[in-house]
Formats: sequence, C-alpha cells, structure tokens
Amino acid sequence: MKAAGLLIASLLFAGAAPAQQVKWNFDKVAAKASDTVDVSLSGSLLQFATKFLSDSDKDEAKVKKLVGGLKGIYVKSFEFKKPGEYSAADVESFRAPLRPPDWQRIVGVHSSEDGENVEVYIESDSNGIGGLAIIATEPKELTLVNIVGAIDLDSLSELGGQFGIPEGLEVDKKK
Amino acid sequence: MAPLEDELRSALRRRDPSPDFTERVLARVAAAPARRARQPWVRWVAAMAATLLLAAGGLEYRHYQGERAKDQVLLAVRIAGSKLNKAQKKVQMLTHRSNS
Amino acid sequence: MPRRPPATACGWDFASLVRQHQAMVFSIAWHLLRDRAVAEELAQDVFLSLHQHQAELESPEHVQFWLRRVTTNRALDVARRRLRRPMVSLENAPEPVAVTSTGDPLLGTALRKLVAALPEKARAIVVLRYQEDLDPAEIARVLGIPVGTVKSQLQRALALLREKLSRVVGQASGLSPGKE
Repeated sequence: MKAAGLLIASLLFAGAAPAQQVKWNFDKVAAKASDTVDVSLSGSLLQFATKFLSDSDKDEAKVKKLVGGLKGIYVKSFEFKKPGEYSAADVESFRAPLRPPDWQRIVGVHSSEDGENVEVYIESDSNGIGGLAIIATEPKELTLVNIVGAIDLDSLSELGGQFGIPEGLEVDKKK
Repeated sequence: MAPLEDELRSALRRRDPSPDFTERVLARVAAAPARRARQPWVRWVAAMAATLLLAAGGLEYRHYQGERAKDQVLLAVRIAGSKLNKAQKKVQMLTHRSNS
Repeated sequence: MPRRPPATACGWDFASLVRQHQAMVFSIAWHLLRDRAVAEELAQDVFLSLHQHQAELESPEHVQFWLRRVTTNRALDVARRRLRRPMVSLENAPEPVAVTSTGDPLLGTALRKLVAALPEKARAIVVLRYQEDLDPAEIARVLGIPVGTVKSQLQRALALLREKLSRVVGQASGLSPGKE
C-alpha cells in the first residue's frame, strides 16, 4: 500500500469540488439478494456514534481515530443464494460513477482461490484523499463501500486484518 | 448427563427483563396517543408518571441509539478494512513475486 | 366464570398482563436476538401494541398466543433487518470455549450461542419448543407455517446442535440423543 500511497500523493487536484457520497442505485441487485447488510452513517450520526467508541478498548480506540474526521460511511453487502445471480452489467453500473477526473482506481486484484475481485478507488480533493470506494465481488456476495472524507488507508487495512474475525467475513472452515 | 432437550430447556428458560420494565411500559402507554376515552384522572396520573419515567428513559434510549450506531461503525470498518486488507495482501504478494 | 379478569374500562388489567407475561415476551426476544437492550425495547413495543389491541383479545389464552406470535414475528423481522455481525452458517460458527461435563452454566451459555447461530426460523422453532414448551402444532400456529415444516426444521436444528455441541464437550459428555 506504500506504492499506492505515492500514487495517491500524485493525484491531488487543487481546487477540486468537495467529496460527496457516491450515487449508486442498488434496486436491481437488492431485488436479487437473499440477504443484505446495510450501513448508512452520515455526518452528524457518524460523529454521534464516534462518541460511544471506547478509548480503553484497543480496536475501538483505533476506529475512533480512523473515523473521527469522516463525513460519511456507507456499506452495502449483498448475499445471493447461488453464483451468477448478479451480472457483469450490474457491477459495471457500480463502476460507472467512479471515473476520472474525480475518481481513480488504485488497486484491482483477483483471487483465483475464492474467486474474489477487489477494486479500490479514491477520490481526490484539494486536501488529499476526499473519498474511498471499494467494489468487492465474490460468486455469492457483492460488497460496495463508500467512505466520504479523508481516510487513512493503511490504518483501515490494518484494522481489517486483525479486527474480530480476521481477514474477511468467513470463519476458517477447517476445524 | 441430561439429554440435549433437557439442556436446551435449561439454557432457554425464561428470564426477567429489568426490574422497572412494567413501569416503563406503562409510561409509554400513557405517553402514546389515546385510542379510547379514559377517566381524566387516570390520564393525569399516567402523564405525571410518564413525565418522570420518560426523562430517565429518554437518556437511556439515547444511549441505546448511540450503542447501535457504534455497532454500525464497527461493522462498516470491519467490512471495508477486510476488503482493503485482502487487496493489499494480494498486491504485496504480486510485488514480492515480481521482485524475486 | 367470566372470560376476562376484572379490570379497567378496557376490560383487562393491563399492568397485571404485563407483569404476568413480561418474562415470556422478553425471553423470546432475547433468545432470538441475543441483545438485551434490543430485546427490552422490542418487548416494550409488543406490550404497547397489546394495549392498543386488547379489545380484540377474547381470553387469557388468546392473549398468550397473541403475545408469542407478535413477539416472535417482530424479533424475526429485527433479526433479518438489523445490522449484524458477519453471518456464518452454523456449520462454520466459531466454537464456544470448551466446557467440562460438570460445567452446566458454561454448557448453557454454549447452547444459547449455538441456538443464536441457527437460521432465524429454526431459531424461533427451537426457542418456542424449549423455552415455551410448545408442541409442533402450537409452534406452527404461532409462526403461521405448516406443521411438517416445524417438525423437519426442528429435527435438523437438533441434529446440528448435537453435532456442534459434541465437538465442544467431547466424547466424555455422554449427551444422549433423547426424544424430540
């Protein structure tokens, strides 16, 4: 992610418009999903929530520091009964708003082990990173993340690796 | 050792809510819009009790809302962080491969 | 004998109804949701609704049936819609801490966690069966589903719970299948 950090630094746009929530339309995909996780925390609600994060809990203190200055956190994760329930066109519709000059894709990876693709986009503003978007696709799951505001990617990634159930949502099936 | 069903009955036995649960329900009932005509004095007594109980209940509800919002933040960070972590690890792996 | 207990103009002694049934309502919500604050909030909502609908209820048995049905349905709605910890299927659920055969309280905790990891409908069936001691026909009426579905889901849930619990407790537990 250090290489990504340099890329981010080089993509600063002076005088760019302030970052805003990505306008995704979830209707089509939501209609096909068997289950949905939905987080929508904007501005004042996010700041209200931050007050309840404990300084004495290690993870919560890190999260408190991470989200302190953010303007919004939006997560939609759709689960499907079987592979193929959502289409490439569906995914493309989520990529559509994430185009230059406002957005840049900084990472796109594919895991052949579990068939997961992860694409990471950042939005730059005059102060640096103004927003983050992630599109993660798996055969039976589609996750979209949008964070509005300056977010520390390294801290967020670190939290994702050690927080609760490590490295993703699934418990190791080998027992 | 008891059969599983007995253990389930024991594990899932009823539990009491908090000691002032009934009072809080009555306070909410008193505060809710009336659907039927009541004796005026009953409404007055209920309103007084509701005022006292709601003052305490309001703070507690705000705390409850805050805890729920906190859970949402933690869940969102976990999901976002796990996806980003996965991408980072893959990039690191590919970088390591190309350098070796 | 009058069908309704002596009461206010509405026909029921509402406060007595709350006291009589609060443990049942709260416990159904808590065992389905595993969140005390949410369960209490939901239980309060149910009683608020009861107050608004009490004129429609004809007997103490009807009240009890109504409370079980409304509480269970609302708790299932909340379980489906609420923000949740990342879901894992029961087969992949993290193992509770290993317990010894004498650790009944720990066994109870382990069982409650395993029940909480069941899919929502199966969880409701297990709770209504073992908390409320309802038979499959009564459970089917509460949930509005066929009796056959209740029986098959109950069998599968128990089989899963046995398998999961046996891994926790180990060979020495002696947990026997028992009758359903």
